[in-house]
Amino acid sequence: LGFEKFGKFGYVSQTKVAPMISFLEKDQLPATRCKKCKTLHFPPRADCQNCRNPSVDWVPLDGSCTLITFTEVHFAPPQFQAEVPYLLGLAELKEGPRVFAPVDNNISRPTLRPGIHMVLRVVRRSGDGVYYQLQK
Amino acid sequence: VAIIGVGHSKFGKRSDASLRELAFEAYNDAIDDAEIEPSKIDGSVVCSATHYDKQRSPAGVVAEYLGLNPEPTFNVEAACASSAVGLRTAWALISSGLHDTVAVVGVQKMTELSSEEIQELMGRAGDVMWESPFGTTMPAYYAMYATAHMSRYGTTEEDMALVTVKNRKYGSKNPNAMFQKPVTVEEVLKSRMVSSPLKLFDCCANADGAACLILANSEQAKKLSDSPVWIAGLGLASSPMALAGRKGPMTSFEVSKNAAKAAYEMARIKPGDVDVAEVHDSFSITEILNYEDLGFAKPGRGPMLLRKHETELGGSIPVNVDGGLLAKGHPVGATGASQLFTLVKQLRGEAGDLQVDGAKIGLAQNIGGIGMYSGVSLLKA
Repeated sequence: LGFEKFGKFGYVSQTKVAPMISFLEKDQLPATRCKKCKTLHFPPRADCQNCRNPSVDWVPLDGSCTLITFTEVHFAPPQFQAEVPYLLGLAELKEGPRVFAPVDNNISRPTLRPGIHMVLRVVRRSGDGVYYQLQK
Repeated sequence: VAIIGVGHSKFGKRSDASLRELAFEAYNDAIDDAEIEPSKIDGSVVCSATHYDKQRSPAGVVAEYLGLNPEPTFNVEAACASSAVGLRTAWALISSGLHDTVAVVGVQKMTELSSEEIQELMGRAGDVMWESPFGTTMPAYYAMYATAHMSRYGTTEEDMALVTVKNRKYGSKNPNAMFQKPVTVEEVLKSRMVSSPLKLFDCCANADGAACLILANSEQAKKLSDSPVWIAGLGLASSPMALAGRKGPMTSFEVSKNAAKAAYEMARIKPGDVDVAEVHDSFSITEILNYEDLGFAKPGRGPMLLRKHETELGGSIPVNVDGGLLAKGHPVGATGASQLFTLVKQLRGEAGDLQVDGAKIGLAQNIGGIGMYSGVSLLKA
């Protein structure tokens, strides 16, 4: 248990990568790296997709990334309706993997376009939830 | 393997009928169309995204209500591509020699759910561990492809509106379609924002409905039917569900390119050989991406087909001339079978006002969910 703290609204509570929460709580962006073939996984995986090795190390990410695409959501699922309109983005991290994350809602819309440099940073939600967000 | 009979219910808000009754309408229509004894059917494949159904494991009640007990029945689920997977399942059942004649029944009852229930389901359409916790929706995912295509190729909101205008125009001539009224580019552009840049009229609507296909092996098909339509090629592929797991500039669906390649290879034909196509226009942008992924246009050139009216009746490759999902509505499990219904009618020359003259080869493409499944089917007269 514990993973329900991830995101703005957590659907899943049980996973082998639940230790991710404690890294996020320390303001770190954690990926996993396969102990055997050294493949980097983000979002973190407990099992290597490349060599099937189920043993990984936790490693921090820098957060530096490039925006690939985004949308502004006006029609939302029930748990998110109070927040509309809000932004969702897909970015490529400096280390290679991609991240799907909310984009800071204070960003001026005309400055947002595919290709711009952004930074993935840890943010808290009210209560004890924690997640990451794309910021300028 | 051939399709020897097709049936279709009216799509839309069908508050008059239950799931099993919708399935019956399409099945009854297909049996009449095939002009066969129902006792010939030795198996059924029921295609439905079962999370929308009140009835758990709907193949049970559907097979019962259609009178198909005690023959085997299969429940097949691949979100919006359930029927494409059902077609492949039935093809394999027949090709293996286990079955001779199989009914594929795509069915979905969606409007019975409250909008709250629908929105909750929509919120879990993506990867529930890594993406749904941020408030994703089905339109949001496709909108992100639209943003990327606009940015890379200069595609405009007007281009996307042209898809809706075209499909609603043809839907107005299809009595089974949910929406019977054409719309203008201006009406599409002025409709309310759902997830930028997609507006309400860029999005298909949830619906109730069913479509049915009767498949038979070649021996039975030649014996039972004087107008069999042959399955010439089948392609099916999968892709990461998480958007972050996909590669490239997010301006195409790798999953559809893979499915198309397999189908074209099996049928030994090229995109240019296709006379009429039914593609998955869950959103206006999806149809544009499909033109490119299926090889009807080069990457980034999809909008040119619309601007030059090439995908309309009389154009080089008419697409969704039955109205597509945008006009017919999208009863998830029934959509793929509805596309094949239209192709069979076209290839038999029975499409009336919507007939593509001399159509010999038809292509149906059916995407599942947010693009984790895609099926491409090629039919020949």
